[in-house]
Amino acid sequence: MLETSIFTEITLNHYLVLSAIMFSLGMAGVLLRRNLIVLLMSIELMLNAVNISFVAFSHYMGKIDGQVMVFFVMTIAAAEAAVGLALAVSIFKRFKEVNIRFFEHLKG
Amino acid sequence: MTTMGSTTIEIAINLVKTILVFLMMVQAVPILVWLERRGSAFIQNRFGPNRVGPLGLVQLLADAVKFLKKEDFVPEKGNRFLFYCAPVFAMIPGAIAYMAIPMSVPLVTESYTFLIQGYEINVGIVFILGISSLAAYTILMAGWGSGSKFSLMGALRASAQIISYELALGLAIVGVILLYGTFNLAEMIQSQSGSLNFQGFGYTVAANWLPNWGIFYQPIGALLFFAATFAESNRLPFDLAEGEAELVAGFHTEYGGFKMLMFFIGEYAHMMVASGLMVTFFFGGYSIWNFSPEEVHSWIMNTFSVAPFTANVLNSIIHFLSYTIKFALFLWIFIHVRWTLPRFRYDQLMDLGWKTMLPWALANSILTAAIIFIGSHFTL
Amino acid sequence: MTADAFLFWFLAFVTVVSGLSVILMVNPIYSALSLAMTMIGVAAIFVTLNAYFLAGVQLIVYAGAVMVLFVMVLMLFDLKHEIQAFTRGRLTGAIKIASVGILSGLIVGAVTMGLKTPVVITASSDVAAAPTVDTTRALAENLFIKNVLGFEVLGVMLLVIAVGAVALSRSKGGTHARD
Repeated sequence: MLETSIFTEITLNHYLVLSAIMFSLGMAGVLLRRNLIVLLMSIELMLNAVNISFVAFSHYMGKIDGQVMVFFVMTIAAAEAAVGLALAVSIFKRFKEVNIRFFEHLKG
Repeated sequence: MTTMGSTTIEIAINLVKTILVFLMMVQAVPILVWLERRGSAFIQNRFGPNRVGPLGLVQLLADAVKFLKKEDFVPEKGNRFLFYCAPVFAMIPGAIAYMAIPMSVPLVTESYTFLIQGYEINVGIVFILGISSLAAYTILMAGWGSGSKFSLMGALRASAQIISYELALGLAIVGVILLYGTFNLAEMIQSQSGSLNFQGFGYTVAANWLPNWGIFYQPIGALLFFAATFAESNRLPFDLAEGEAELVAGFHTEYGGFKMLMFFIGEYAHMMVASGLMVTFFFGGYSIWNFSPEEVHSWIMNTFSVAPFTANVLNSIIHFLSYTIKFALFLWIFIHVRWTLPRFRYDQLMDLGWKTMLPWALANSILTAAIIFIGSHFTL
Repeated sequence: MTADAFLFWFLAFVTVVSGLSVILMVNPIYSALSLAMTMIGVAAIFVTLNAYFLAGVQLIVYAGAVMVLFVMVLMLFDLKHEIQAFTRGRLTGAIKIASVGILSGLIVGAVTMGLKTPVVITASSDVAAAPTVDTTRALAENLFIKNVLGFEVLGVMLLVIAVGAVALSRSKGGTHARD
């Protein structure tokens, strides 16, 4: 008889594992992709993964503070996306491509 | 909260309700198209559809056959997948958002309370705003999938317009939320019952000859909200998405036949959401002026001498009619404005959104918050 | 299988698959659209955790504004297929894949550990018990009373970021450059 309670009873662990999987997906994206905009999107993926674990903790611990943290994370993520995209537009105007290797031209 | 239900029968009932509301929306579209064509013909002093059937009503069936029989065309350089996805997704946000609007008093039986709406969600406004902000994707997908410069430019124009006006839309609602102190649409409608009754600064000013509707508390908010919904649903005077005379027809240049019709259904769905929200926020929702649902219920009981359950059903139907009348009035205003006002230029549209409506909406919400705070804490 | 469990597995499937396609799609527009799908899935997960207001905000801010911005920029760039989508170099690539593998291994370890240890925390709390209006109200009270300093700092930061983004896009080579 196989133990099926892992499939039918959703606990905090399930949400944490989901969050961890999404976080490592985002990390893989940051490490493996070369397109600046895809890098930014992978960072958004990582932030979302963290948000899931914050909300899950808030729900299962019965404290609202986790949701407030999610609020702050969302604000910072939106701001980061705005600045990142502005940088990407500058790079694109110059080199007609948004590959990350053009970022070495930013020095000096 | 999103009670999809805990038992199987509740889930089944909720699913049936969702499908019913969706079908209602889709069925309302041909009527609106007919009304739009007849109305425009009357306004602009020309002939509308008048040959096929009485008042041209059967024209709709002919149109449907025409749409179905047209060639299914995909541009060669386009992206086939996105090109087919976009019209399907165009219908979804409007439909899901409309389902959250309560259309009548809940129907109470012995064991269940049927809400006359697709589903109830506790943070109704936030949810509706979120869902309808997804409409920008369908436009972008259509513009990109067509593989044409005109489509892409039209799509960028339209989606920039939608996300710009979303700010004014959201801020215009802040005053309403402050006024009623809730996100729940049903609770908003309940607090609009009775007659007009200002309270604050230690005084109470009552006007028995006026209903207690939100428009009397939030006139600027109502105006800004209604104007912003015109831009959100891409209707004239903000219809730069399809300004076919001066700009090539926007993101649906390459579309034809049934796919085009699906975009139209999406546009009408947005109109319906806007009208429904307008009625809910500012015109008392389904409530009948001067009569509370309980009074209507007892009136039905006494006049027709029926059982309480039948009276409940009649009560729901009467309130649904009340909602529909207000709702239809706003839909007509949408149509009337489309055929009477000229179109904005793109820079005028952006100036209006960012430099006029956004500051006014901000001022409105700050003023509302200040008046509510001072009025409830201090007396004159 | 209860409705809750079914909902969780379905949403987990949707988010993981669309998250995977974000990093695997060669065309960045497909990546962005899959990320939008992930955001919608995450919003639905928030609903299953009774965080209704956050779910709405997630839809408005992430799916409705941030991702639309991404998609618009990508469409303006008109990048059909990338010449060099993935990382190059054998050694660095191997190191990167290995580090991702190590992280995934840690996750597998966490899963097995989580299965072995009994569940200490159960969903019997005030937030879970009262899933109605009060989460939103409690959120507002916490945000504006306990964390009001953070809120104000975020406001200042948003102002700085807005000025910075405008300055970047108006500088040489930006979208609104003053030649």
